[in-house]
Amino acid sequence: MSATGWGWVTPLLSSDSPLLPTAWVMQWALRLSWSVVLAWLGARVVGYWSQRKPLQWGLALGLACWSWIPGPYAPVHWLGLAFQAPSLVTVLLCVVNLRERLFSARISNRSAEPTPRVPLALAALGVLAGWALLLDTFAWLPVELYQWGFSPAASALVLLVVLVPWVIGRGERSAGITVWVAPLAILLFVVLRLPTGNLWDAVLDPWLWIALHVVAVRHCSVRG
Amino acid sequence: MSLTPSLRSVYTRLFFAVLAGGSVLALDSLQRLPTPEVAAAVWMNPAMPDVRTLQETARGGIPMPAGAAAAHASSMLVMPEENPAALTIFWFSGERESGPLVQIAASQFDRATQQWSLPRFVVNRHEMGKQLGYGVRRLGNPVAWTDGKGQIHLFVVATGWGGWAAARILHVRQTRTGNGLQQLAFEPVQVLPLSWLWNTSFLVRNAPLPLADGGMVLPVHFELGIKYPVALRFDREGTFKGMVRISQRPYLLQPALIMQSPHEWLAVMRDGRPNGKIGAASTIDGGQHWRDLPDLALDNPDAAVAAVGMAPGQMLLAHNSSPGSRARLDLSQSSDGRHWTRVKTLEHGASEDEFSYPAMVWADSSLWISYTVDRQRIAWQRFAVGPAHPGAKP
Repeated sequence: MSATGWGWVTPLLSSDSPLLPTAWVMQWALRLSWSVVLAWLGARVVGYWSQRKPLQWGLALGLACWSWIPGPYAPVHWLGLAFQAPSLVTVLLCVVNLRERLFSARISNRSAEPTPRVPLALAALGVLAGWALLLDTFAWLPVELYQWGFSPAASALVLLVVLVPWVIGRGERSAGITVWVAPLAILLFVVLRLPTGNLWDAVLDPWLWIALHVVAVRHCSVRG
Repeated sequence: MSLTPSLRSVYTRLFFAVLAGGSVLALDSLQRLPTPEVAAAVWMNPAMPDVRTLQETARGGIPMPAGAAAAHASSMLVMPEENPAALTIFWFSGERESGPLVQIAASQFDRATQQWSLPRFVVNRHEMGKQLGYGVRRLGNPVAWTDGKGQIHLFVVATGWGGWAAARILHVRQTRTGNGLQQLAFEPVQVLPLSWLWNTSFLVRNAPLPLADGGMVLPVHFELGIKYPVALRFDREGTFKGMVRISQRPYLLQPALIMQSPHEWLAVMRDGRPNGKIGAASTIDGGQHWRDLPDLALDNPDAAVAAVGMAPGQMLLAHNSSPGSRARLDLSQSSDGRHWTRVKTLEHGASEDEFSYPAMVWADSSLWISYTVDRQRIAWQRFAVGPAHPGAKP
């Protein structure tokens, strides 16, 4: 095939026509996403001291509602100022964990068990991607990785990569619903373009990246 | 040959994964506009003035907002011919640089009276924060542009926690019709998504390079620990169209873009190192790829420069030319972008004086230069081609 026959690939790889969310969508999404993260954080913190569901529900709902107050009296005002919006993956993980924490009869003590293989593989991918994005932020990579996150091909290729552990995992049952968080986040990103229009911001934020390091280290220490 | 159940399962999963990837690719591609054409710049002044004959016709200070002790980083915008004002100038002003009371101020140069209007504040961090849904800690460095519909856009440095190094670029757009100073009001379009690391630390300073399609290329830079320059492209409506690194040298910032031909541009840059020279990079394909050039033979005391390509072979550069000090501000010209000769000394004070952050535009058959004086006020000078003509009032 001649070189010109590959012309159709160019627009797929091009990052010159990014699709960005509108200002009001970003504003609503910012509040919604931080309210979910704060609700999870509240329930999680309470869970350290008490397994009483009403207490966890109360704090989670209280923090979620607090996020919707406009102005500097709401945590979103300061969280957005410092960290912008959390990634869709972070928000979905918080939803999954909140659901388990608030609706399940019993919370399993996962910190004592090794992380299942498929989620562990995804965590490892996240750790590596985060390091690459950090290096790219400081222009230490020869390619512009963050910029590539605006291209149409980025969504498809990253989706394929996050599905690889599932493809070769042969239905590992212990993996749970978390295996589907990253693919679902990418699908949501393609439709909603949240939080910024760049795929990397949808699948991995710096706080999640730090948390994935903890997952990897904890797995090694439990196994070791 | 028959497959084992587990292998068959892997192939099935692979099939569904590829199908999902293909579907996402199709869905994503269908939503997008076609990739824009290769960017082509347009000359600031097609009449080809001879910049070697520039004569000063007027100079003075811009009126400052009442009670504002600090002023810095001006940006001038050429107004349409039918507008009573020839120029609108924006800068940041308040009690001190990075102070909580700093806002973006504006003034207009009236064609009839040949005077600058009393200024007013047009962008306030509290108002922007309210509309964005989260806080804006500080404001600075406005850069103005008019889109293909005649709406004014401002690109403003808006800091998060951590000062200038934690800055983001806030894009705001004019809300009402009418470009009179009293009518100017802005609303946020977005904080430009430029970095994965909580979208820090990109800053804007210099004027955009106008494109033939009505869009522009906005030079910006990263400055968290290291520094590097980046070019952002926007279409004629001010929609963000992507970013390209200008250089990976970790000490170059505040690029100023100079058109040499529609697709050949030069970037000249501030050197963040002590006793540096003005850095340079070039592109020959409308900003798709850049390559580093040797530094210019011009001292740069870690100070911003301003540059324009007036016409083919006629480039102007405003720069601080003495090492270790911003006390001298020169205007130089070049025909090739590599070799520069001084046309004029715009300001020359004692070593503790500061004349910095120049901005340049061509309007009403004149070259206009604005700059900061001692971080307290904004001064301006006007030059015409040929002999000086009377009538302009400072």
